[in-house]
Amino acid sequence: MVNRLLLVIERDVRLFFQYKFLIILRSIWFVSQIALFGLIASRMINIPDYFRYYVAGLSVMTLYSAAIFIGFDIYEEAEHGVFEYLLSLPVSRRELVLGRSIGGGLRAFIYVGPLIAVSLYVIGTVDPINFLISMIALFLFAFGVSGMSITLAVVIKSSDRFDIFMGVLDALIVRLSTAMYPLAVIQASNPAYGSLASFNPITFAADLFRWGAAIPLPVLDNPLMPFLGIVVFFSLFTFVGVVIYERRIEGGGWQ
Amino acid sequence: MESHCIFSSTGAKLAPIIRTENLTKKFGQQFAVDHLNLEVEEGEILGLLGPNGAGKTTAILMLATVIKPTEGTAYVGKYDIRKQPEKVRGLLGIAFQEPKMLWVSTPWDVVNWHAKVCGLSTSERKKRVKQVLDAVEMWDARRKNVHALSGGMRKRVEMAKVLIQRPKIAIVDEPTAQIDIVGKHKIWNMLRELRDEGSTIILATNELYEAEILSQRVAIMHKGKLLVCDTPKKLKDSIVGGDIIDIQFGKTPDAKTVQELRGFDEVVSVLQPKPSDLRVHLNRVEEVVPKIMNFLMKRDVPITSIHMSEPSLDDVFAHYTGLTIEEAQESEE
Repeated sequence: MVNRLLLVIERDVRLFFQYKFLIILRSIWFVSQIALFGLIASRMINIPDYFRYYVAGLSVMTLYSAAIFIGFDIYEEAEHGVFEYLLSLPVSRRELVLGRSIGGGLRAFIYVGPLIAVSLYVIGTVDPINFLISMIALFLFAFGVSGMSITLAVVIKSSDRFDIFMGVLDALIVRLSTAMYPLAVIQASNPAYGSLASFNPITFAADLFRWGAAIPLPVLDNPLMPFLGIVVFFSLFTFVGVVIYERRIEGGGWQ
Repeated sequence: MESHCIFSSTGAKLAPIIRTENLTKKFGQQFAVDHLNLEVEEGEILGLLGPNGAGKTTAILMLATVIKPTEGTAYVGKYDIRKQPEKVRGLLGIAFQEPKMLWVSTPWDVVNWHAKVCGLSTSERKKRVKQVLDAVEMWDARRKNVHALSGGMRKRVEMAKVLIQRPKIAIVDEPTAQIDIVGKHKIWNMLRELRDEGSTIILATNELYEAEILSQRVAIMHKGKLLVCDTPKKLKDSIVGGDIIDIQFGKTPDAKTVQELRGFDEVVSVLQPKPSDLRVHLNRVEEVVPKIMNFLMKRDVPITSIHMSEPSLDDVFAHYTGLTIEEAQESEE
């Protein structure tokens, strides 16, 4: 069981790194966001240490973008008939679905790893224990996003609709989070936005990463809460998503 | 019409390795596969013959547990495809009609990962990947992306997956479509070797010649139904009067000779297109010809030439469907 699960994970990780052009462009985008937008925007925003704040948020946004990529892979596979091939293999549906969810998260994490290293170079000092905990949280966050992407891809069943839906979701979930601006600012602009942002997994991930990277804003009194938020998000989309995905597969819903 | 496929090529009843029981798949109100009852013997190549849209691929996908039947079931090995799909998948290897691989992959990635997931040990895998890619002449192109390969090359990579796996049951769906004649012969030889190594093979094809030369038995499907299943020879023999002998005489045969020829049990009809020519429609030509020759020699009728022909699977298909395979294909489209 473990061996086949690992093979499914390995396949997804290998495949992702075949898209060299995409990876290079994404990396250029990341660095230019730091070197251009981050530097310039931090001069016009009256929040102390906004540059470091933004760099940490950018890392989480990039992790999110890389983890949702697995949903697009599912459409690509459906288009090329690879899904039928995967379903014909001596691998259980559960191994396949769980493996893909983990693989989607892991490859995003591996991809973002060097970018996080760039972020840390920019951010400066970190608390090693807190940083390790925040990395675990980001790891789970990536799995959760990957599971969410797979679930939505299977439920939506149209690559065009999925593309548009993910664009809208990205706009809402990223902008209604603390990835780019502190919660207090969101809260001040509109309390409803603030409430939504408080329960957003990107907020949890971004806040924990900043906490791990010793960025003073926001002051996290209790990192357990966002950590638990990420665990709930991860559990929901990894395990519930697996069940939905499995049912869809068995019912021929992928066709 | 419903047909079962239950006897071996030698006529002995054997325990089948695959048995379908009213296997049915409906898409909406349309039957893709309609109450299929088929048995496949261990170690044989069974040709699943029919035009595009006959239900071959859908039947295969159900056997492979990729899609669920609407009704009925099938047993692969001793496992029920509905209840023990994982066990079933452990016995099967499939070469799909359309090669199933992402365009960013390489032949080496595809075959190597397939070997891993099918449980080959590291040492065996390393050896076999090279061996198999060599055999399908893809070793030199092993690092090319799939999008840079021709249709025929992709098809060979698809075959390589089955060859490296050496499954107990191999299902190959139109393995030589889009492949030139040299490539076809290579793939046919590979299938024979796979069978000789102990695999049972289901060969889905719409190429009658391919089915005839490779298969111990042929099952003909049309509009989702199994029409008939037997050895190619028996299928041909099942066409009454399907064999033909054209005899040219040195002189016009007398009426009594023609009449006595008509009296042979196997002879269905005797036509006389020219005074010195006879066209005899009969069954089991290979058994009857010596008898007819003896008869004519005893009658001292001079024969200048004799030409025998037996029905092809085209004729068998036409006999059971009333259509040529091309016409059937057009009607499905």
